[in-house]
Amino acid sequence: MTRISGGLIDRSRTLSFTFEGKRYEGHPGDTLASALMANGVRLVGRSFKYHRPRGIFAAGSEEPNALVTLRSGARAEPNTRATTIELYDGLEAVSQNRWPSLAFDALGVNDLASPFFAAGFYYKTFMWPKAFWEKLYEPLIRRAAGLGALGGEPDPDAYDKGFLHCDLLIIGGGATGLAAALTAGRAGASVILADEDMRLGGRLLMESHALNDAPAVDWVQGIEAELESLPNVRILRRTTIFGSFDHGIFGALERVGDHLLRPETVRQTLWRITAKRSILAAGATERHIPFASNDRPGILLGGALRAYVNRWGVTPQAKDSDRIAIFTDNDDGHRTAIDLVAKGIPVLAVIDAREDAQRLGEYQLYKGATVTGTQGRLGLSSIDITQNGLTRTLECAVLGVSGGWNPNLHLASHHRGRPVWSQAHSAFLPPEDLPQGMAVAGAAAGHGSTHAALRSGAQIAAQLSECKPAELPLAEDAPHRQTPLWHVPGKTRAWVDFQNDVTVKDIALAHRENMRPVEHLKRWTTLGMATDQGKTANVTALAVMAELTGKTIAQTGTTIFRPPYTPVALGALGGGDSGVHFRPTRLTPTHPFAVQRGAPFVEVGQWLRAQYFPLKGETHWRESVDREVLAVRSGVGLCDVTTLGKIDVQGTDAGDFLNRIYCNAMASLKVGKVRYGLMLREDGFAYDDGTCARLGEQHYVVTTTTANAGLVYRQMEFARQCLWPDLDVQLISTTDAWAQIAVAGPKSRELLSRVVEADLSNEAFPFMACAETRVCGLRARLFRISFSGELAYEIAVPTRYGNALMARLMEVGADLGVTPYGTEALGVLRIEKGHATGAELNGQASAQMLGMGRMVSTKKDSIGAVMSRREGLMADTRRLVGLMPQDPQARILAGGHLFAPEAERKTETDLGWVTSACWSPHLNSYIALGFLTDGEARLGETVIVANPLEGDEAPCKIVSPHFIDPEGGRLRD
Amino acid sequence: MLIPHPLLGLRDAQEFTYLGDASLLNRPDTGTDADPEAFFAYTHLRDNPAGVHRELWFHEQGDRSWLVVTRNTLTHEILGAELASDVKRGLA
Amino acid sequence: MTDLTPLCALGAPEPRRTARGALSLTENPDLALASLALRAGGAQPAPFGLTLPGPGAFNASGEVLALWTGPGQWMLAAERSPDADFAAELRAQAPGCSITEQTGGWCCVEIASATGAAPLDRLLEKLVNLPPAALCPGRAARTGLHHLSVFVIRRSTDRLAVLGMSSAAGSLWHALDAAALRLESFA
Repeated sequence: MTRISGGLIDRSRTLSFTFEGKRYEGHPGDTLASALMANGVRLVGRSFKYHRPRGIFAAGSEEPNALVTLRSGARAEPNTRATTIELYDGLEAVSQNRWPSLAFDALGVNDLASPFFAAGFYYKTFMWPKAFWEKLYEPLIRRAAGLGALGGEPDPDAYDKGFLHCDLLIIGGGATGLAAALTAGRAGASVILADEDMRLGGRLLMESHALNDAPAVDWVQGIEAELESLPNVRILRRTTIFGSFDHGIFGALERVGDHLLRPETVRQTLWRITAKRSILAAGATERHIPFASNDRPGILLGGALRAYVNRWGVTPQAKDSDRIAIFTDNDDGHRTAIDLVAKGIPVLAVIDAREDAQRLGEYQLYKGATVTGTQGRLGLSSIDITQNGLTRTLECAVLGVSGGWNPNLHLASHHRGRPVWSQAHSAFLPPEDLPQGMAVAGAAAGHGSTHAALRSGAQIAAQLSECKPAELPLAEDAPHRQTPLWHVPGKTRAWVDFQNDVTVKDIALAHRENMRPVEHLKRWTTLGMATDQGKTANVTALAVMAELTGKTIAQTGTTIFRPPYTPVALGALGGGDSGVHFRPTRLTPTHPFAVQRGAPFVEVGQWLRAQYFPLKGETHWRESVDREVLAVRSGVGLCDVTTLGKIDVQGTDAGDFLNRIYCNAMASLKVGKVRYGLMLREDGFAYDDGTCARLGEQHYVVTTTTANAGLVYRQMEFARQCLWPDLDVQLISTTDAWAQIAVAGPKSRELLSRVVEADLSNEAFPFMACAETRVCGLRARLFRISFSGELAYEIAVPTRYGNALMARLMEVGADLGVTPYGTEALGVLRIEKGHATGAELNGQASAQMLGMGRMVSTKKDSIGAVMSRREGLMADTRRLVGLMPQDPQARILAGGHLFAPEAERKTETDLGWVTSACWSPHLNSYIALGFLTDGEARLGETVIVANPLEGDEAPCKIVSPHFIDPEGGRLRD
Repeated sequence: MLIPHPLLGLRDAQEFTYLGDASLLNRPDTGTDADPEAFFAYTHLRDNPAGVHRELWFHEQGDRSWLVVTRNTLTHEILGAELASDVKRGLA
Repeated sequence: MTDLTPLCALGAPEPRRTARGALSLTENPDLALASLALRAGGAQPAPFGLTLPGPGAFNASGEVLALWTGPGQWMLAAERSPDADFAAELRAQAPGCSITEQTGGWCCVEIASATGAAPLDRLLEKLVNLPPAALCPGRAARTGLHHLSVFVIRRSTDRLAVLGMSSAAGSLWHALDAAALRLESFA
């Protein structure tokens, strides 16, 4: 056990957890990493490429090594950083990327074969033969690569989303963020303070410095209490601001239930935060110094070592006698040594690369010295120190490495701003072209000391909120003293990017192979492309490249960052909308009726529509559909057609407006009449069709296809507002306001006359008549229109009465054999009649192809009219035709292609395609509609419908698309 | 992005649908003897500037206004937004 | 009078209601709706004595409420029985305007808080992407909610109405209820 005194853990309570199936104990306040350390566990995982043993390297979200699979079964979460997992009772974690066990990993042979796995290995090796890629290489690589695996079961947790708005978003709750929040919060600004950690304080929790001569945590708690009391301040703990988007919009992930055995409600909430201003106070991440064999468990960042000692009261020693050394190129390494000594832990050596280093505490200092090698199989056992050309080996189990600090400027460069190299800071500082409204403060802006961080947070918040900065506590203000050492030269592998196993040698190879620009370096070596995005690696790597090219770091430049700052679960990005709630579902007014009748439903866009209404004893859908079709042809059927879009058009210029929208004339339509209308796109192709009913002098209702309802409305608003704003016309959608039922079949008049309070005789209410009337004592609209080719009506009543009207029509029409029918029968009826739908109006058909070329009026301008007359469209001889197979039982499928019988079946001889096909119970044959080259001229000839995918062919007779009543007598009777 | 709706103030771009170049306002309305070349240009030819661009956005999940938004396509900076009907009438 | 029996937008004869902690959700089936649009050059009427409000606002007087929905366009709502022809009533009140019946087109869910504004504010931030000021008492907005286009009316500090298209009433209810349920679990 290596627990020591102090720290911000609650030792009065014990939490039990397992790692690799073995039971351990920790305390509230621990992370999995600190708890593993406290139990002497050093080996935590295996590296990505070489399967090298790895331990805990950092103390925060920058961790590259200690990735575990957290939880099990459906909740298993791979590649989770042990350093950010809050310990809870019952936690289960296992290591990754090892087989059969963590201590003995068979793929460790990769490490021996490492010369083969150098940068660019995959690009060079798996190039040929091409055919091997899919069958051999890719499966092989996929099996060997990757870290943890998902459970493979559906995620059982709930996710949530939400939207927050504020004057000021403060990203990071350390010294800088707290000073900023206090300043802006006291001034009354609406403030959101977000921090990824479980508690506020940031680095203050991990240092031994006093604020106002008291422990820093006392000051933090005082400020926290004040902020909590301010109604205008909102604190989001356990919340990562993962992306900065345009105009002050930020993505934030709140881990609501990840610190619990099981989330109480939601696991995570995705917040979209809109902030007028923001302060990036994300602090800094420590760099390491690459040296030979620097990846063994026990080697970690110096600042992380200090954090474990101060915040979690633990060291990475496996046993108390294990010795600790520090390797540094700056004063911060000494700080770690001082804190260790203060806790009574002897420090074996501080190895400082600087010739002019000063000893600052009770430890042995090696000036101008470097670490040039390490030993130890599953963990560090000794290090080689080279000083003045002499190398000695020291027994040592823990080595803290300090290479200076990189500002966490990721969010500042999400909008392509280029970080700027500062020689004085030996670091990249935030770009000048920051995201709109953003300022950067504290260590993220290069202010390293606590005093400077506090002051910068308060001052920037004061500027933004136009108020005075909050008074600040007395804090350390040590200068930054560093002589950067970017790597220790040597022949043995020295790791730069631990997570993707990229070494100094790989960078040298990239240099030799001319992959020198940082973007190339990154892709050739995969540097910084692991889940940690190279937080501890990138700057070091490009400094090494700069050294190799003989350029300065400023000239070499840096890559920029993209969201997310840390990985975000896809479930969270989905915001909780999954399964049936993935998108809204729309139900028709007669849905309860259809459910009662046992109808299966089909999704039509967002709508659920009844597909057919099976009767007892019917065993196949075709049985029901055939019955429904024949009932309409011989009696009367009912179908809910509410889903068709309905747009109310009013105004003194409504007729003129519709004339411009439809290719055929509408202004001439008489009150009380309906006309079929075809809309074109401006490029001349057919867009949508429907009916236009004139209910009054200045009042029309037009219908659209179900699929295009929203788009047509948008297009009509475009025409109204953007093209002809001076026309007096008003539009509004009324799709949902009316329940509309088609009443179709020779007995439809008989049925309707029993409920409609109007004269329905052919003289009083002829084909294409419409009227506002009353049905069952209720206001209604009646249209004499037909989609089936039979005598038919559509009747509309206020939506909420739709279901009752359906039931009433069924009741009063029982003696007429009234039959409800669904979308399948609707489809058969319209194919039999040759009416086009979306299958024909597919965006590639012209009015002419649809057999409606003459409808495009030449007497007026309308959208698409001019372009519809262009040569290319006029020359197109494809026409909509009907197809009857010579063998009535030969099933035809939509999508089949048309060929002359003698022609070879190839693209050059392709004459067209089948758009719609069905079994026609009326004709006792399969029938189809299709577009056929020279269609009109070929009527009566034979064409082959070919389905080359399945080898089917069916000779068909080319007929009129109107299989039923081509003269239209039935409609008009 | 946030769109500065002239009537409703800043609204998230998620409420809008995008159409494109505001030159679509300039339909060559010339009645029945329209010039096909003018329509060809209107329908198919668009500028795609790297920089300031005037474009059409529809406030679909809002007040159903079509807006002309002036946006820098390089920076996403939005320089203004007007009701398309005002622009068309020459009021804005 | 009709002898047909109406259903509520959520598909049952009786309005749906539920309580989630401090919040109650109730389907309001007695809200008659009609839209009003000005004709070109037409003067702004004052139907039922109401001043038609400007963008982002609503005005209520007695049982009638007017809500701004777009330039020159309003939605009027009134307590009426389901078969009432409110559009006809409005037409008489606003001659020369374009009036369209909308009663059946919308599902209205009334949300009330037993403990003041806070639960409603917390609920709204889970549902709509608008700054709190846009939905403080007296304000209304048309916006997106879980991929639905809705009207949100903040009737008072502790009362809120959400109107979504009636065909998607089930999805609207689910979104509101799920959000309220999650708030309850936190409270």
